[in-house]
Amino acid sequence: MKKHFQTTLSLLFLIASLTIFSSYTATETLNNKYSIKFPYRKAGLTERQAAAHLLSRFTYGATPKQVDEMVNMGLEKWFTQQLDADQPNDSLNASLVAYDVLTKSNKELSNTYLDGGQIRRKATKEGLLPQDSTGKLEYKERKGEIDSFMKAKGIKPEGELIRQLVNQKILRAAYSNNQLQEVMTSFWFNHFNVSLTKNESVRFVPCYERDVIRPNALGKFGDILLATAKSPAMLTYLDNFRSVASDNNNNSEEGSKRLRALYAQQKMLAEKGDTGMQSKEVSQKIKGFKNSQGLNENYAREIMELHTLGVDGGYTQTDVTNAAKVLTGWTIYPMSDEYGGAGIKKMIEKVGEDKLIQQGFVHDGDFMFAVNKHDKTDKMVLGNDFSGKDGYNEGLRLINILAHHTSTAHFICKKLAVHFVNDNPPQSLIDKMAKTFLDKDGDIKQVLVTMVNAPEFWSKDALREKIKSPFELTISTVRALNAKIAQPYQLFNWINKMGERMYYYQAPTGFPDKANYWINTGSLLNRMNFGLAMAGQRIPGVSFNLAALNDNHEPESAQAALVTYCKILMPERNVDSTVKRLTPLVTAPAITQKIDAAAGKTAPPQTQDQPTMMASSDDNMMMSDAGSHNKKVLKEKVNRKKSADYSIQDLMVNTGNKTMLSQVTGIIIGSPEFQRK
Amino acid sequence: MSTRRGFLKSGALALFATGVGGVPTFIARAANSNKIVSPYKKNKKIVCIFQRGAMDGLMAVTPFTDENLKAARPNLFMSAAKNGATTPLIDLDGRFGLHPAMKSFEPLFRDKRLGIVHAVGSPNSTRSHFDAQDYMEAGTPFNKGTSSGWLNRAVGLLGHEGATPFQAVSITSSLPKSFYGDNPSLAISNLQDFAIQMRGNPMAANMASKSFEELYDQTSSSLLNKTGKESFDAVKMLQKSDTKNYKPANGAVYPESQLGNALKQIAQLIKMDVGMEVAFTECGGWDTHYNQGVETGVFARNVTDLSTAIAAFWTDMSGYQDDVTLMTMTEFGRTVKQNGTGGTDHGRGSCLFILGNDVNGGIVHGNMPSLAKENLEDGRDVPVTTDFRSVFSEVADTHLKIHNDKVLFPEWDGKKIGVMR
Repeated sequence: MKKHFQTTLSLLFLIASLTIFSSYTATETLNNKYSIKFPYRKAGLTERQAAAHLLSRFTYGATPKQVDEMVNMGLEKWFTQQLDADQPNDSLNASLVAYDVLTKSNKELSNTYLDGGQIRRKATKEGLLPQDSTGKLEYKERKGEIDSFMKAKGIKPEGELIRQLVNQKILRAAYSNNQLQEVMTSFWFNHFNVSLTKNESVRFVPCYERDVIRPNALGKFGDILLATAKSPAMLTYLDNFRSVASDNNNNSEEGSKRLRALYAQQKMLAEKGDTGMQSKEVSQKIKGFKNSQGLNENYAREIMELHTLGVDGGYTQTDVTNAAKVLTGWTIYPMSDEYGGAGIKKMIEKVGEDKLIQQGFVHDGDFMFAVNKHDKTDKMVLGNDFSGKDGYNEGLRLINILAHHTSTAHFICKKLAVHFVNDNPPQSLIDKMAKTFLDKDGDIKQVLVTMVNAPEFWSKDALREKIKSPFELTISTVRALNAKIAQPYQLFNWINKMGERMYYYQAPTGFPDKANYWINTGSLLNRMNFGLAMAGQRIPGVSFNLAALNDNHEPESAQAALVTYCKILMPERNVDSTVKRLTPLVTAPAITQKIDAAAGKTAPPQTQDQPTMMASSDDNMMMSDAGSHNKKVLKEKVNRKKSADYSIQDLMVNTGNKTMLSQVTGIIIGSPEFQRK
Repeated sequence: MSTRRGFLKSGALALFATGVGGVPTFIARAANSNKIVSPYKKNKKIVCIFQRGAMDGLMAVTPFTDENLKAARPNLFMSAAKNGATTPLIDLDGRFGLHPAMKSFEPLFRDKRLGIVHAVGSPNSTRSHFDAQDYMEAGTPFNKGTSSGWLNRAVGLLGHEGATPFQAVSITSSLPKSFYGDNPSLAISNLQDFAIQMRGNPMAANMASKSFEELYDQTSSSLLNKTGKESFDAVKMLQKSDTKNYKPANGAVYPESQLGNALKQIAQLIKMDVGMEVAFTECGGWDTHYNQGVETGVFARNVTDLSTAIAAFWTDMSGYQDDVTLMTMTEFGRTVKQNGTGGTDHGRGSCLFILGNDVNGGIVHGNMPSLAKENLEDGRDVPVTTDFRSVFSEVADTHLKIHNDKVLFPEWDGKKIGVMR
């Protein structure tokens, strides 16, 4: 008997350990590529809950049934795929074919998409507008001619470039199968922010995102840092393209001597009555001289303060000035006649590019190192000596030093943790990530793996603790509803209204990545209104089928709808309190009195301005799927009762299930739970 | 919390009593509280208008006796002397003349309510709109990394934190840099839109509104909870007033422009006593590189809009004028010399206007030198002889009683020039 018991016991033990062991080996073999091992069970999460958490942080939101798909595939395998970012995107790419901006180079965009002033100047040059009177009136009068001139020359308005840029971001975020790549592209774009508010940068932004940010979004930090440093978008946005050695500066003694000589020459020519080529050349030279205002510290400061070390990263004003000197001459290879491009072009033609390269010039795509603008003195930055003779290599070395600095590792890892974990991530987590950053040569993938392998990522301080940005809210809604987007720009209008005008953040800091920036009185109401507009299918060019989300089963009651759609839109969330709070509202009639009784007040009838609201021009846009009949019923009902005591039950009775469903869905999208990720 | 309760006791109950929908329980609590705090309407209010694009200060307020200017602007210069067909400048003091399109400013100036500061601007010589606006709104001309705006810091220094969702309101579509920061601030493009909206279906909107209020009341996220409460408080305050059919006082007529509408809404908020202390709005079109015109044209239209909107606001504010000070600002001025296309390019010093009963009005303040080439900044621009922070901090100091310049404008010496009484 005793022996039998022992055998059973040891058998049980064997089975138990086998089970544990096999689950271990299964996970181990799947993950060896990146050594991913999610410790979610220790945090008390089920696999499904873990999947939902991963989806909320590394994608723009779960699509219906995506949790099931992930669990079937295996969480670690899914994450590996996202890190590899090599999933096919055929249908997304097909929808982007119409966007010619995405296929063009900086040079092509610079010469194709022109702003109002440039178009005006071109038209004036062409004789379409009078030389000295370019008021709006003349422009309007000649609009037909100007338009056909533009068409003939293949010129398009800059606004079209911006529209395509915005639209493609929305489409990629909503539909890319490589979601993490898009999330990281957004993260790095914001980290290395450039802005459409800077006129000089606008036409460089599409290539900046496409060629500089996205390909490096899951690469090495040093690579993305260098790529941004050499990009026309950053060079213009933070002015480095015009930063030149101070001996070129008109404030220096030698500079002012040269300027005085030019002025004298100009005066002499003017006195002679010369208005020909020579006089034009001199005034051009003076203009060019004045445009180059010498050393510009803007980029040098921001690369340390915002891109690498952080404001407390241990650099001084002297380091900033000297770094600016190291980076003098880092500029744009001329691609149009704007911003001094014509002058440089001429110089290159005159001397010959081969000869220039021998002298130390560098031409790499749109980037150019102009050795003649470079500060050739010796400098020291962060304790490192830079020989003034090293030219382009000085900058390369500086950027390499910054990319691998301990302060940088901590600064970048903190920012990543703030983005993916919570607004105040624990130091223990940042330290682990920073160690990987330093050990693995700034490999972003490895840093992310260290983060998800850490218990801090799965703790209750992380779950649901991040608030979606307006962009994230919008895209997660589109994804949760499986919506089709025919007019992405309509969504941009809402995102803008909620406070995130993508690509337009003026400051080099990028949008603050914390909840209390996004959540304020005005923006919160707009979030709720967005939910209602979206669910009511009142956003033109965005459509979806609510019933299809529930396999075309219509919920039997308002309460059933509430429970079902809470679960569909917010998978694996605890929706009990949401359901509990809303149930009385969706089922009980005459709810107003109840609330008022609690507050010891009696509610008066609804205010009189309702009929005027109903007569608004947007009337016909409301609840398009409810049909005109329902609308009529609603109107009559309002006119009859003119009181606030309605519940969803009333709506359902009067307008049918579709309206009720969209109302419930709108409330879920605008609810506090849906704002969290 | 005590200030909130005080407010509710003193003023808001009347508003809520006839409000729509559920009355939050905290109001009932507030009604029973014995705390007495002075009502908001005693608070001073500052209204700022940012003229984006850099206004040509020399054309707005012209030093018409300066021959250098006349020579530099053969097609743009206006005289104060009456001669034939052209409308001359309004002679303010024998030296400066107001653009004729700003005639509605004249009585305010003569009445010593309106003060002008000339050759004002930033010590940072950038001529980029982007940088200069950023620096001016942050209030730190040499530090790009400043994350807060000067008006947001002003709200913090008022020490009435969290008192009302309307403490700082910007009538713009998005939050301006001036309002960035940790203190509560609000951007509304249109007061009428500030509600839960289901166009054409107020019944459903009302239901949705109550649902949202319930949900935000119970959420475990304290930020969402607190902001949700504030939002619905604000909605209810606005619901009470008939924002759509607002009638300005004293027959004030606002121009039908963005600025006119914005100032009208600011006036409404002031009269509603919702506790607003800092208001902001903006107007554009000042970047006049091309054909800016003289007595008529784009510049004249812009200053007509600016001056009539401000004058209408002041008329509308009768009864509140002691509490309100209004100030304009622009990122920089424009070149002394006209350019080849009938306009002016980016320059340095410009001018600004301050209006209020505590303003040292009827004076063109600041130091405008003769515009001889050797006096100009970089040989081309009006030199900045008054730091914008000098004016901003004096207005904040005198009108709002904010004395901590080190927080409002770090890295600044604190010198003032007497633009306020």
